[in-house]
Amino acid sequence: MNDMVDLLKSIFKGTDARTLGENRLSVTTPGESVLAVLDYLKASGFYQLKSISCVDWIDDNEFELVYHVASLERPLHIMVKTRIDRDKPVFPTAMSIFKNAGIFEREMHELFGVMFEGNPDLNPLFLDNWKDIPPFRKDFDMRKYVKDTYDSIPSFEEYKWQKEN
Amino acid sequence: MDRNNLIKWLKEPKKMGNKYSLWAVYFSTACGVIEVPPVLTSRWDAERFGVIPVATPRQANLFLITGYVTTKTLKAIIRTYEQMAEPKYTIGFGSCPINGGMYWDSYNTIKHLDKFIPVDGWIAGCMPRPEAIFIGVTKLWGMIDKGLATGYIRYREHYDYYRGNQERLFGSMEWPPLYSLKEGTHDE
Repeated sequence: MNDMVDLLKSIFKGTDARTLGENRLSVTTPGESVLAVLDYLKASGFYQLKSISCVDWIDDNEFELVYHVASLERPLHIMVKTRIDRDKPVFPTAMSIFKNAGIFEREMHELFGVMFEGNPDLNPLFLDNWKDIPPFRKDFDMRKYVKDTYDSIPSFEEYKWQKEN
Repeated sequence: MDRNNLIKWLKEPKKMGNKYSLWAVYFSTACGVIEVPPVLTSRWDAERFGVIPVATPRQANLFLITGYVTTKTLKAIIRTYEQMAEPKYTIGFGSCPINGGMYWDSYNTIKHLDKFIPVDGWIAGCMPRPEAIFIGVTKLWGMIDKGLATGYIRYREHYDYYRGNQERLFGSMEWPPLYSLKEGTHDE
């Protein structure tokens, strides 16, 4: 595991790698070298992209994209992390390296509003007729949305009472 | 057959037929799907109560909504409900269709199912035991006897209310209205 840390640090400039407990490795890297790191990891046997997740650091005004990469031969789970601007969340797609990145990026686009350039299909996946800001952002007021969307619909009794009076 | 029911059978054969042949749609929306297979199969054997699963909603007249309903599932539920032949009865199973349950502040689950389709009865709990389905079914028998299970008539009479709520949630619907949107145009 430590060989991996030294290698990544020496090859990619501005990259910080550290171990998180047993079999877990966290790699923090600037945005422009993410794809290069992923490409390198895939070439060294980590050919499984498990997930892409996103963290909303609203105080820093940044989104953190986390790519979870693993290998079936080596018991090591690598997280490649990068920070992008929250006001203009645009990032290149990783589909050229991992083809299954498309569906994860589609989900992150829907739930956080991160735009992945080069991804051909960013249609909504779960949400239907969504008009508010993406729901997983920290500044999305869930209770207000529920009140406006669901609770404002009158019940049948209310409807009947309104019609009679 | 209970001999005491013989008079009832002769007097109102249609009602008694409806009561004892509740064919259920095998459409499980959420976690309630865990409870339904043992009910329908030999462990609890719902066929004792005349409840059997059928292949298509067009043959069914009992609709169990088991668990939370997301907006996307609701679309499928409305489609299934509108395809079912009358008389049709709906039972909300679990606390989520009643008032949202543990998803009361979720952005993507509807809170009150009876704002979108009529519901004849509720089985509360998270999750209810399979026996609760039989309690629900026997209560439904009583309601059919007294003529209280009239959800499908309510749907037809107040279709403008239900369709209005559905359109309010979905924006636009992909299928045309089932009934006329004017009130009081049904004939029964």
